[in-house]
Amino acid sequence: MRVETTRSAGVVRLRHGVGFTASAADVVDRAAPLVAAARARGEPVALSVRADTARALAERTAAGAGTAGAPPDPPIVLARPEGPDRSGQTLAARWARELRTVTRSRGGVTVVVEHDGELDGTDGAFWTELDAALNLALSEVAATVVCLYPQLPLHREVVDGAGQTHPLLLVDGVLQANRRYREPRELLVERGVPAPAVLGPPDRRIGFDTWQLAAVRHGVADAAWAAGCDGDRVEDLVLAVNEVATNAVEHGSGDVHLDVWDGGRAGALVCEVHDGGRLADPLPGLRAPHPADPRGRGLWIARQLCDLLHVWTDAAGTHVRIRALP
Amino acid sequence: MRTTTVEDRSVAHACAVPGSEEELWEVSAAFLADGLAAGEQVVYFDDGTADAVLGRLVDDRVPVDGPLRDGRLRVVETEVTRAAMRIPLHEAASGFAALIDDALGAGFPGIRWTGQYSSRLRPHAGLWLADYDAAMERALVGRPARALCLYDRTRYPDDVIEVMRGLHDVQVESPALYDDSLLRVTRVRPFRLRLAGEVDHSNRPVLNRLVAATLDEALRGHDSPAVLELDLSSLRFLDVAGAVALVHAAEEFPQSHRLALSGVRPGVQRVLDRCGAPFAAQLDVTPHPGSRCPGFPLPPPADPPDGAA
Repeated sequence: MRVETTRSAGVVRLRHGVGFTASAADVVDRAAPLVAAARARGEPVALSVRADTARALAERTAAGAGTAGAPPDPPIVLARPEGPDRSGQTLAARWARELRTVTRSRGGVTVVVEHDGELDGTDGAFWTELDAALNLALSEVAATVVCLYPQLPLHREVVDGAGQTHPLLLVDGVLQANRRYREPRELLVERGVPAPAVLGPPDRRIGFDTWQLAAVRHGVADAAWAAGCDGDRVEDLVLAVNEVATNAVEHGSGDVHLDVWDGGRAGALVCEVHDGGRLADPLPGLRAPHPADPRGRGLWIARQLCDLLHVWTDAAGTHVRIRALP
Repeated sequence: MRTTTVEDRSVAHACAVPGSEEELWEVSAAFLADGLAAGEQVVYFDDGTADAVLGRLVDDRVPVDGPLRDGRLRVVETEVTRAAMRIPLHEAASGFAALIDDALGAGFPGIRWTGQYSSRLRPHAGLWLADYDAAMERALVGRPARALCLYDRTRYPDDVIEVMRGLHDVQVESPALYDDSLLRVTRVRPFRLRLAGEVDHSNRPVLNRLVAATLDEALRGHDSPAVLELDLSSLRFLDVAGAVALVHAAEEFPQSHRLALSGVRPGVQRVLDRCGAPFAAQLDVTPHPGSRCPGFPLPPPADPPDGAA
C-alpha cells in the first residue's frame, strides 16, 4: 500500500458544492456542463455516479468534443465503499488518496458525486458524514467537488445534511457561497457520526493503560498473523492500532480496552478501541498533518494503513473500529 | 564477588542477572559472539529463547547461518535442555564433561555455553540449582571451557537469584542508561547509543531526554564528534510520535551537528519515512544490512509442552 507523506501547510484549496436535482435527467443536465468545462480547461474528471449517469455523461461529452483532436481521457472512477460497514470518513480518506495522486501530476481535478440511495443506511446520515469528512480530508487538495442530491430523497437527513456540509451551492451552473454551510466538526458533534453495524462478542478483549500498550501490540500481531497477513502488513497494522490505542490513553478516560475479532469472518481482521472520553474533533486524522505539529499524525497514518477506520461517539464514550484485509 | 564484562576471557564460570528481556538477549548474544570470535565452539541451551538470542546476534552483525551449519554454533533444543535438567546430578556432570571432550575432539580450541539450562529447575530450586552449578563447576575446572549462568529476574525468584549469585565468584554486568523492560538504552561509546526493544507512549519522553542530553554533551565537549548516533539495530517498534520526535530533534540540531540513525529495521524505516525523515536535512537514516532481521511481530512460537517437574 502506498502511503503519503504530505508536508504541505493547511491552506484550503478544495471547492466543494452541492446541487439539488429534480430527476435523473436533471443530474446529467447539471453535471455535463461541469465535465465539459473541465475538459475545456484540460483538467481531469473523476466521477462517483450511477452507471446510467456515467453512460449519459460519456455520450454527452463525446458529442460536444467532436471537433477536438485527441479524445479526452476517460473519467477516473472513484472507489465505492467496501466491506460490510458504511463509513463516510473512510470513503473520504480513500478519495483523498486517489485525488491527491491525480492533482500531484495534473494540478487540479473536477469531481462529480451523485447521491445513491443504496448507501443511505437506516437514515441517510452516511452522506452527511461523507461530505463533512470530505471538507477535512480534501481541504488542501486542488479539487472542485460537486455533489448532486435529489430534492426529495427518501431520508430527509440527506438534504438537511447536504445543505449544511457544502460551502458552495450550485445555482444555474455557477458555484456560489452557501449561507447555510457549517463548520464540519461542529456539525458532526451536534448530529453524531453513525455507529457501524453491531458485531458479535469479540474473540479477545484486552484492557490497557499507558504502560500496557505492548499488550495491545502483541494482541494485534497475533490476530494479524492468524488472519494471514505477511510480516510487513502485520507491522503496519500493529502500528495503526497502536496509534489509535495511544490516542485512547492520551485523551480517553474510564475503561479503555481493545476488542479483537480474528480474521475468520470475511478474511478481515477487525479491532475496536473503546474509551470513556469524548474527542474534541469527531473526525480525527483526516487532514494531512502539518509538519510542525507533532500531534495528529498517528491517526492520519493509521487511516492510510487500514481498509476501514471509523470513529464514532455515544453516551459510553469514543469508539474506533478498524478493519484490515491481509 | 567480583564484577566484570561479558568479554572478559579470564573467567571460566560466571553468572549474570539480567533485569530485563532485552538485557538477557544482549548478554547472551555478546557471550556467544565473543566465543565465535575466539574460534571456540559455542553452545546455547534453548528454552523458547533461541530465536530472540539468534535475532540479537543478527542485529549485532554476527554471522549466524554459517556457524550453525558447520557446528561452531550449536543450539540445544528446548526439549533436550529440559530433559537434561531431569537427569541425576552425576550424569549431568559427565554430560558437561562429554560436551567439552566432543568440542576438543572436533578440533576446537575450547568451548563455551550459556542459555536457559536451569530455568526449569523447580521447586527446591535454590538447593537443586546449587548442586547443579557445583557439578558444572567440577566439569569446567582446569579445562578450556567456560559457562555463563543466567539468572534473569523474569524467570527466577529473587531469593533463588541471591543464593546463586553467592555461589559464583564473578558476575558479568552490562550497565544501561535506561531499561524499563520494554526499552533498553546502552552507551556503546561516547555519542553512540544503542536502543533495544520498543518505543511507545510510555517511554517516549526518555528518548527525547537522552537525545537532548547527548547533544548537550556534544556541544560542551571541545573535540566531540559532529554526529550523534542512535543504533536502532534492536529497535523493533517505534511509534509515530517517537518517529516525529526523532525527526524534530534532528531538525532542531544546530547546523554543526547531525543525528544518525543506524541499523534501522524495515518496519521502523517505514514509520520514519511516513513522519518526514526523508525531508530532515540533518538526519541520516541507514538501514540494517542483515538479511534475516525479524521485525517486532515475530510469529507466535509453538511452545513445546512443559514437561519439567
